[in-house]
Amino acid sequence: MEKISDALLYERVRGKDKDALEELYDRYEKMLFSYLCKMTGDRDLAEEALQEVFVKVWRGVGSYDESKGKFVAWLVTMSRNAAVDLIRKQKKPSVPLDEIAEVESTDSSVEETAEWQEKSEQIHQAVRHLSEEQQKMVQLFYFKGYTHETIAEKCGIPLGTVKSRIRLALKKLKTSLQMVQEGGVLDDKREL
Amino acid sequence: MTNVNCDQLIDYLNGTLNEDEQKQFEAHLAECPECREIVDATGELPYLADPVAPNPGMKARILDAVFDEEEQQTPVSEEPTRRDRPAPPATMAKRGFRTSKWTPLVAAALLVSLLGNAYAFYELSDQPDAPTAPEVAFETVDLQASEAFEGTGTAALVHEEGALNLLVQANQLEPTSGDQVYQVWLLKDGQPIPTGAFTPSQENEGAVFFSLDEDTEGWDTIAVTLEPNRGNTAPQGEVVLSAAIDPEA
Repeated sequence: MEKISDALLYERVRGKDKDALEELYDRYEKMLFSYLCKMTGDRDLAEEALQEVFVKVWRGVGSYDESKGKFVAWLVTMSRNAAVDLIRKQKKPSVPLDEIAEVESTDSSVEETAEWQEKSEQIHQAVRHLSEEQQKMVQLFYFKGYTHETIAEKCGIPLGTVKSRIRLALKKLKTSLQMVQEGGVLDDKREL
Repeated sequence: MTNVNCDQLIDYLNGTLNEDEQKQFEAHLAECPECREIVDATGELPYLADPVAPNPGMKARILDAVFDEEEQQTPVSEEPTRRDRPAPPATMAKRGFRTSKWTPLVAAALLVSLLGNAYAFYELSDQPDAPTAPEVAFETVDLQASEAFEGTGTAALVHEEGALNLLVQANQLEPTSGDQVYQVWLLKDGQPIPTGAFTPSQENEGAVFFSLDEDTEGWDTIAVTLEPNRGNTAPQGEVVLSAAIDPEA
């Protein structure tokens, strides 16, 4: 039986179908929670952020449709912004700028599934194609809970420059990810 | 392909576009494959993290909260207000610290406009044939912080032809968490009514403007509490700021 698409599930959620929401939750719990844990460095905060994301999905805040790209990317943006906000509210000291090495593995790491492993290899490979500066931008924007304003402030770079650097970094990431994926199955259309 | 809209991509991802800009950018996104592909690529970024097992019981907690949230959503009209203008609910790409619509600057402008109205009424009353001057009374009070609360605040009350306009501004507020809001109340003989709520800005400032079209109560106290959520009709949280006001004003 073919897996029902995220977009279709989301449509059902808009019709207040609780099972559809649960299905979406199950699909992305581990991915988003792992991401949020890495970003916040705090399991409770990560759970709080994840809850906020699904509350918004259920309430239909900032509703999704396929013209906005993939559903998962939309969820990631919401998750990032929820975490950025919570980190700010908690006044959690942010990780110093020079400490952009990988955050150490959480002790409760679980075994990677085959799917996770494949995705993880692809994105790691794609990131390696970025310049050091571009990797730093992605790291700060997506994993350290910094807004572009904060990056500008901390790095002493004008905001406009920060924005164009992040954009360039993501553009390069997109291109290299596509290259990496070309070897595998080009599966981008599966949700259409 | 770079144009003005493409340049807004990072603001979009950062959640810093206003409502109109957001709509415009989303329309652009539908038309611009490059921006869409970049957005799509960000959906893969979480796989840079190590997989982490969910907290025990997390799914049940989150789904309970999600569906509870729905049941608790009560119509805003329960508040005895005609022109309440609470901060808009947070939307997807707008982070919490932008939810306070009434930035102090806007609030200050509003206050000026209220004073302007009052002034205009006085002007009118100088006309020889003008009807009886409408009664306009203006009162400002400094709000007193409760013990262990660092914030400060002021309230301005303008009574004008039976209506009451209330503006509350506060500074050095402690950030809220979760659904918490600062809720303003007017009290008479210890009986409160809710008169608007706000969340602090990034600068820990907040303000709310509230109007009662027919105000006959003669309020004696104004208070601000930190509520666990928006929409309470009676205070649940601690009073953080308060002041006595002149019921006759």
